[in-house]
Amino acid sequence: MFTSIRSKLIASLLGVTLLVGAVSLWTGVHLLKKHVIGEAANRVALDLNAGSEMIQERIRLIRTALNITSLGSGFVGSVEAADPNDLAYRLSRLAHHAKLDFAGILGTDGNILSRLGPNAKIQRIPAENPIGRMALERQSSVEGIVVLTREMLLHEDPELAERARIAIPDLGAEAAAAAEATSGLALAAAVPIFEGSRVVGVLYGGQLLNRDETLVDMVRNRLSQGESYKGRPIATATVFLNDLRIATNVTLPDGRRAVGTRVSAEVKAAVLDQGRRWSGRAWVLSDWYITAYEPLEDIFGRRVGMFYVGTLEAKYTDILTRALTVFILITGAGMIVALGFGVLLANRIMGPVHRLIKASRQVSEGSLTPDVGPIKEGEFGRLQKTFLEMVAAVGRRRAASEDRIIQSEKQASVGRLAAGVAHEINNPLTGVLTYTHMLLRRKDLNTEMRADLETIAAATERVRKIVKGLLDFSRQTKLDPEPTDINRLVGATVGLLENQALVKGVAVKFMAGENLPMVTLDRSQMQSVLMNLIINALDATPPGGQIKIFTAPALSGDGAVHKGVEITVADTGSGIPAEHMDKLFDPFFTTKAVGQGTGLGLSVSQGIVQRHQGHIRVQSEMGKGTRFFVWLPIEGTGGKS
Amino acid sequence: MKILVVDDEGIVLLSCRRILEAEGFEVQAAPSVDEALALLDAPGAPLPSLLLVDVKMPVHDGMYLMRQVKAKHPQLPIVVMSGYPTDETVENAAIFGAATFIAKPFTPGELLDTVLSVARKGNKP
Repeated sequence: MFTSIRSKLIASLLGVTLLVGAVSLWTGVHLLKKHVIGEAANRVALDLNAGSEMIQERIRLIRTALNITSLGSGFVGSVEAADPNDLAYRLSRLAHHAKLDFAGILGTDGNILSRLGPNAKIQRIPAENPIGRMALERQSSVEGIVVLTREMLLHEDPELAERARIAIPDLGAEAAAAAEATSGLALAAAVPIFEGSRVVGVLYGGQLLNRDETLVDMVRNRLSQGESYKGRPIATATVFLNDLRIATNVTLPDGRRAVGTRVSAEVKAAVLDQGRRWSGRAWVLSDWYITAYEPLEDIFGRRVGMFYVGTLEAKYTDILTRALTVFILITGAGMIVALGFGVLLANRIMGPVHRLIKASRQVSEGSLTPDVGPIKEGEFGRLQKTFLEMVAAVGRRRAASEDRIIQSEKQASVGRLAAGVAHEINNPLTGVLTYTHMLLRRKDLNTEMRADLETIAAATERVRKIVKGLLDFSRQTKLDPEPTDINRLVGATVGLLENQALVKGVAVKFMAGENLPMVTLDRSQMQSVLMNLIINALDATPPGGQIKIFTAPALSGDGAVHKGVEITVADTGSGIPAEHMDKLFDPFFTTKAVGQGTGLGLSVSQGIVQRHQGHIRVQSEMGKGTRFFVWLPIEGTGGKS
Repeated sequence: MKILVVDDEGIVLLSCRRILEAEGFEVQAAPSVDEALALLDAPGAPLPSLLLVDVKMPVHDGMYLMRQVKAKHPQLPIVVMSGYPTDETVENAAIFGAATFIAKPFTPGELLDTVLSVARKGNKP
């Protein structure tokens, strides 16, 4: 099926298209992935920074609010006086403005002077508050993240403890960590209260992050910038207490916030255990996200939690999928185009080929004028032309060989005829000759009778010559070949005829070619061929003319390449009329006067040359002269084996 | 001097007889090989001095006659004549012991020259 040029052509076009499509698809997807996902990862990393900054901003806000309160007029006095009503009023105002979940004032002894919530009145007891204590110890303001245990939270406000308590869905497996689920993570600050340079107390306050959606949602909203994917904001943010989600807008499949779920072990190991930022593609509960995690350290420098920002990967994979689809569609379309183009091209190419095949069939059926269609441009046109030339050459060659066959058949039949006629004629001719001559011997003949008898004798003599010519022609004696120096043979032949030429006033020149190989031939028969040609030339050349004879190495001129020797006999005679050219070698064809030639010379010569596997050609121009070329093969290379 | 001429063509026999008798030869003519052999084998008849034989004849040809004659009379000179002298004919004639060969048609002079030259050789063994 794939052997035809058509299907090969189409298949290769399809293959190339597929290859190009696949490569561009692969490259495109690769680049897109790198750029889109890379871009998303960069963005998420920046988002994480922004989120962290927002957390720090909150912490600073808390401290600023505390500072402002601590510097409020009469505040120091109230602290020193331990005026519970005024302090409670001030604290509630502070909490309202700074949105604090807890706030309080410690005395220099570490006991609570006042605080928010139902336990405000319980005074003069030690505060279970690490940040307040730290500020008191350092006599300077402290801010940051703190972990508040359940006890501390209960101390501050039982409501807070309740808010911090987070149910863990997979409690069974993580029973050991259940305690943590009751602790709280808070952003907090504590500032010392000065009377002059003397510290009279510490004001502290903070926001509990557990279940605090405002921070994570603010981060999310800032980062999403209104973009959403299938109704969901594309960005998500989470605050972890250790590896537990305590405030998040990552949702569970049922739409609830995924508070109480844990981060993957891989992220936990990198961020909590090793303290590294972690970014990359991560499976968050039910979707792939492009994520970044950062450890959160509390005021003691302990890693107590994580902050996470992530973007839904689906949005980017959708872009990729769309791009992939477009690429595949383009490749598919390309293949369809390639298929159509291939079919078109194949038809364009194969059309002429089929035409040529048809033409070849016509040739094999005998036509020498096959229809190859209009000649095209380019290689195919050359093929068409070459094909036509080949057919023409075959035609010429066939015509030539047909000519040769006809010629030799002619010679053979004439030969048979001549042999029969000669045998039959020679017997009565013997009688005619005998009695004519016997009569001529008589002494009593008168002049008239003698003249008549002599006419009979002469005519009979002519008959005898004609019959002898016929016999010579028909005889086709076997060749007696021997290696011969062509130049010597030609030279000797020319020598034999020099006198005859001299008498007629025609110059005969022999120009012997150099480096001629020896040719194996029948010397006496070839000499008779040469004599015949030279005598013909002499007959055709008027006095004052010239006959030149050349010898030269030559390749056979009939299309095949055989090495050989060519003998040229050129005269400056009358030339041969075009209408005689194709009868030249026919037996009995002669232009000489009756009685001057039998018309067998060239025919016999051609027979002899052909029996040497050679050939005779002739070129002639009326009034200018004629050239006969006798080509003979060198034995071993030229002879037909 | 007696010459036996063998040829199936009457005109050739007549011609030879005419030429040779005019020169004083005694001529015996045989129109076939068989008759020639009969003449040669006839009891008491003297052998001819020379045989003039055509090649192509019906029934038995000249070559057959030459073989027969050479077997019995190796000394008898034979002149072969033919109207169709191929190389092969001439070669065969020589092989079978012909003294010489003459192509038909011939003039009286040519025949006499041939016969006389063979006769002279025959006279000088």
